[in-house]
Amino acid sequence: MDDLLLPLLIGVIAIVALLLLAAWLSSHRGGRFSFDIGGQTPRASGGSDSSPERGFKSRLTGLGVFSASVFAVLLGKLWSMQLVSSDEYAKAAERNLTRTVTTDAPRGRILDTNGTELVSNRSSLTVVATADVANDDVEVRLLANLLGMPPIAVKRKIQDNSEGAQSAHTVATDVSQSTVAVLDEHSYLFPGVSVEERTQRSYPFDTMACQVLGYTGSVTQDLLDSQDTSKEDSITYSLGDTVGQAGIEYQYESVLQGVKGEQTVYVDANGNVTDYSTTIDPQSGSDVVLTIDANIQKGAEDGLAHAIQQAQSNGHSTCSRGAVVVLDATDGSVLAMASAPTYSPAMFIGGISNDDWTQLSSEGAGYPLMNRAIAGQYMSASTIKPVVAISALQNGIATSSSSYYCSGYWTGFGEAYGQYCWLHTGHGGMTLESGIVNSCDVVFYEIGKSFYYSDTPEGMQDTMRAFGLGSKTGVDLPSEGEGRVPDAEWKASYFSSSTEEERAWQGGDMTNLAIGQGDLLVTPLQMACVYMGIANRGTIWTPHLLKEIRSQSGSGSVVAYKPSVLHEVKEDDSYYDLVQEAVKGVIYEESASVAAHFTNLPVTVAGKTGTGEKTDQDDTSWFCAYAPYEEPKYVVAVVVEEGGFGAESALYAVRDVLGVIYDSPDDSTASTLTDSSR
Amino acid sequence: MALDTPQDTSPLAQLGNWFQGLGVVGRQGRLGRMLGKGRFTKDLYLPVLIPTILLVAYGLLVVWSASLAIEEASITRQAMGVVLGTLAAALIWRYDVRSLVDMQTALLIIDIVLMVMPRIPGLGVTAKGMTGWVRIPLIGLRFQPSELGKIVTIFLMASSVAQYNGRITRLKDYVKLCATLLVPFMLILVQPDLGTGLVLLVLGAAIIICGGAKRSWVLVTIALLVLGVALIVYTSTVDGLPHILKSYQLKRLAVFIDPSVDPTGDGYNLQQAKIAVGSGGLIGKGIGNATQAGEGFLPEAHTDFVFALLSEEFGFVGAVLLLALFAWLIFATLSFAIRVESPFVKLVLVGMIAMWTFQILENVGMCIGIMPITGIPLPFISYGSSSMVTQLMCVGVIQSLWRHRKKSA
Repeated sequence: MDDLLLPLLIGVIAIVALLLLAAWLSSHRGGRFSFDIGGQTPRASGGSDSSPERGFKSRLTGLGVFSASVFAVLLGKLWSMQLVSSDEYAKAAERNLTRTVTTDAPRGRILDTNGTELVSNRSSLTVVATADVANDDVEVRLLANLLGMPPIAVKRKIQDNSEGAQSAHTVATDVSQSTVAVLDEHSYLFPGVSVEERTQRSYPFDTMACQVLGYTGSVTQDLLDSQDTSKEDSITYSLGDTVGQAGIEYQYESVLQGVKGEQTVYVDANGNVTDYSTTIDPQSGSDVVLTIDANIQKGAEDGLAHAIQQAQSNGHSTCSRGAVVVLDATDGSVLAMASAPTYSPAMFIGGISNDDWTQLSSEGAGYPLMNRAIAGQYMSASTIKPVVAISALQNGIATSSSSYYCSGYWTGFGEAYGQYCWLHTGHGGMTLESGIVNSCDVVFYEIGKSFYYSDTPEGMQDTMRAFGLGSKTGVDLPSEGEGRVPDAEWKASYFSSSTEEERAWQGGDMTNLAIGQGDLLVTPLQMACVYMGIANRGTIWTPHLLKEIRSQSGSGSVVAYKPSVLHEVKEDDSYYDLVQEAVKGVIYEESASVAAHFTNLPVTVAGKTGTGEKTDQDDTSWFCAYAPYEEPKYVVAVVVEEGGFGAESALYAVRDVLGVIYDSPDDSTASTLTDSSR
Repeated sequence: MALDTPQDTSPLAQLGNWFQGLGVVGRQGRLGRMLGKGRFTKDLYLPVLIPTILLVAYGLLVVWSASLAIEEASITRQAMGVVLGTLAAALIWRYDVRSLVDMQTALLIIDIVLMVMPRIPGLGVTAKGMTGWVRIPLIGLRFQPSELGKIVTIFLMASSVAQYNGRITRLKDYVKLCATLLVPFMLILVQPDLGTGLVLLVLGAAIIICGGAKRSWVLVTIALLVLGVALIVYTSTVDGLPHILKSYQLKRLAVFIDPSVDPTGDGYNLQQAKIAVGSGGLIGKGIGNATQAGEGFLPEAHTDFVFALLSEEFGFVGAVLLLALFAWLIFATLSFAIRVESPFVKLVLVGMIAMWTFQILENVGMCIGIMPITGIPLPFISYGSSSMVTQLMCVGVIQSLWRHRKKSA
């Protein structure tokens, strides 16, 4: 409060300064009057008029100057307030008088490609009360008893002004019809309490596609603070608004969010409504139609569950997490995207409890909020081998006629650096194609080594990047992972605290990369895109979930998504011939038990298994496939964390998805457990 | 008419004499004489009387419009104040107030009595945090003696200073005068009523300065005052030292410097007052259309913040008209003070000019944010009969001084 002193001094000085002026004037202008008259004290007898002091006149003039300046100052300020800035004050007065009460607009729905509702709205009977109810303890207690809530909770809800002081305050949502009946019958007991029909998010399929759809919640303070109110068209949020916070709900928030209705009311100083003014009806948000097919989505989720259950029965007891991506190879549409474990978005309605939130964000629960299909980053394992083969062909490292010999143990970098093929007994004589079919590691060790010593030591990484690895696909979902394609530069910076030698890119790094182990990281969606590229002979469409946006009030489609090409991997046709032939061979030639699961499908399938090796953890099971072989339409990529070999668990999810698509369930009981193809 | 006989000594007849004096009835009351150069203008100083009448009428209009929205504001009570004040003024006009020139002691005692009155048990009434009212027995009217104390203080200071005939050459005398002024000032501060206290201080200072105090003394006094105030503010803000200023007074000062420090209390009041004034614009919103006052945003719209109400309803035009009437009143009084010969009369008039000027500065100033908020009424306009009666009595005093200007005391 010390900072008060100076202004106060100034204030006091200002008041007395004018008085001073008067005093000063009196001494100067009253020429005849002087202070140093010297000892004489003419004590007038009772203020007689006999000896008037002429100094009076100048002093009185001074007083007049003081008064005049007071009037001048006041007039000046009034001039500036009432004439110059009058409009601002008039607006302030108007702001004092009016309040805008908003009515929420229903959010747009989220539909699947066939128009099936994935997320819709349902009306919920909501008990609301005016603010003064909180002051009536008897009424609060009665209401609390009726709603089965503690009275203090009822009171707090009524006093909560987050919806705006003039709006009705929500006390309870989703109350039963019987409660409403009681309130209606005994309305005399509950003045100021009423029942409103409000809309809330509803999830007809509960957990299905939960990570894709996302959830809604109250607008955060961060968002409120960061919003740019200067833009005319943008939505402005206020406290208590519901916004999308993850998945499609977040991605297409601006589309789904409706325009609030507004009612302008006149209020007095106590906030009492004195009159009503204009009303603008709320406008519902637009519907978002997804490329997701509810059928395939269900097949994908069931298949994933099947794969996980298969892995568990195979002894991988910790297996519980995985992801499935199903793409349309002809335009990049995401037909299904599953991630396990799941959660129920309904938990977020009306605000999620702290306990639930802690549970959802815990490691023990397997981070169900994470969409592993786009944000899960895994080593690709052998599923990368077709890409490596293309790269080898393109860079002249290998040809279709190159031959290799696998003894089960490879010593290409000398005895000290020997590496096993997954088949320790050895594959014998191999070509590039049979190397893919049998997933022979030795073939790819040789390729890795050749790259390492070639003129294009990073040609393999270049091809991987050309297929979109190491960068986001740009799918229309938040929090996509970009993966990682390791190279010399990356290694040097990543292990910056290690010695020069340890940071150097070694031949072993190259051979590891060639079989998809080590530091390579990919997302299931990226792998699905890679296989779309293989299936389409180079054309990778941007994966997308949006099919179109439909206005609820008007009719038809407002905006339809236009597919676009993400990557075009130009390679010699013969290279694709070889690789496609090889991935078909994986399904039908490599192992009889694998083939048994696919032979009854009406279409030819091509695919590749993968087994990611991690220390102290069960293997990551991969399977990527596309079908039909001749005219590719569907691409399926599956990853099962701690699911064992590729064929052991992930295969089942792929097969189940294809089974749903072609209405041809897997009838083979052949066990793939012994098929340890990587 | 029976009242035509001035010799009649019955009380009724004496009342009639006063009315005769007022020129309302009787021989001198002819309209023609009133406007002509008859006896009427000789006895009444119209340059002060006319703006007073206009101000009172203006004030009644504003209070009436306030009464439409504010229950507490009663136009009848305000009118009663006008009637009472007019009667008191008429009484004073008949009497030669110059006879008060030798009555410093009596004036001082009356002043002290007035300031202490609210402290007398059974008589005093506490309202708005200060013990500043007394309930007049029988009538039951509440009255604020400090308002009356302003007039008494003017006479006290004027009579004290007039003795020196315009030259205060001894420091002892100067100190004595300052000390005299401090008596009512300190008494009013403990009520506590800082606003009225400041009015007394300013009018007393004006009388002493105009009465011929040495410039150097005045400067030193002001310096001491400033230091004293600074010290008071300082001790009031530091824990452990005596808090002379109340916390609300400190807050008002803080709000004056930065209205946002207290957006719900005084800062709110100031903000709402400024909005009321500013939104009035050039010609105002019209009677009864003041939303700031009407919907309750502007607090004390009929008393302390009445200027804001007036400005909202009548705009810049109305505000300028009000200030013009005040200026007329003040400069007419000043012109009288310059022309009159008696130092005592001069100084009484000086006291009134200073009082009006300061009250206008403070009351209007606080509504437009150039002065801190204090509860000082706007003369002739603010709701409240104590102020109205007092202000009308002042005008009565001026009329009396005019009427007796030629005679020797």
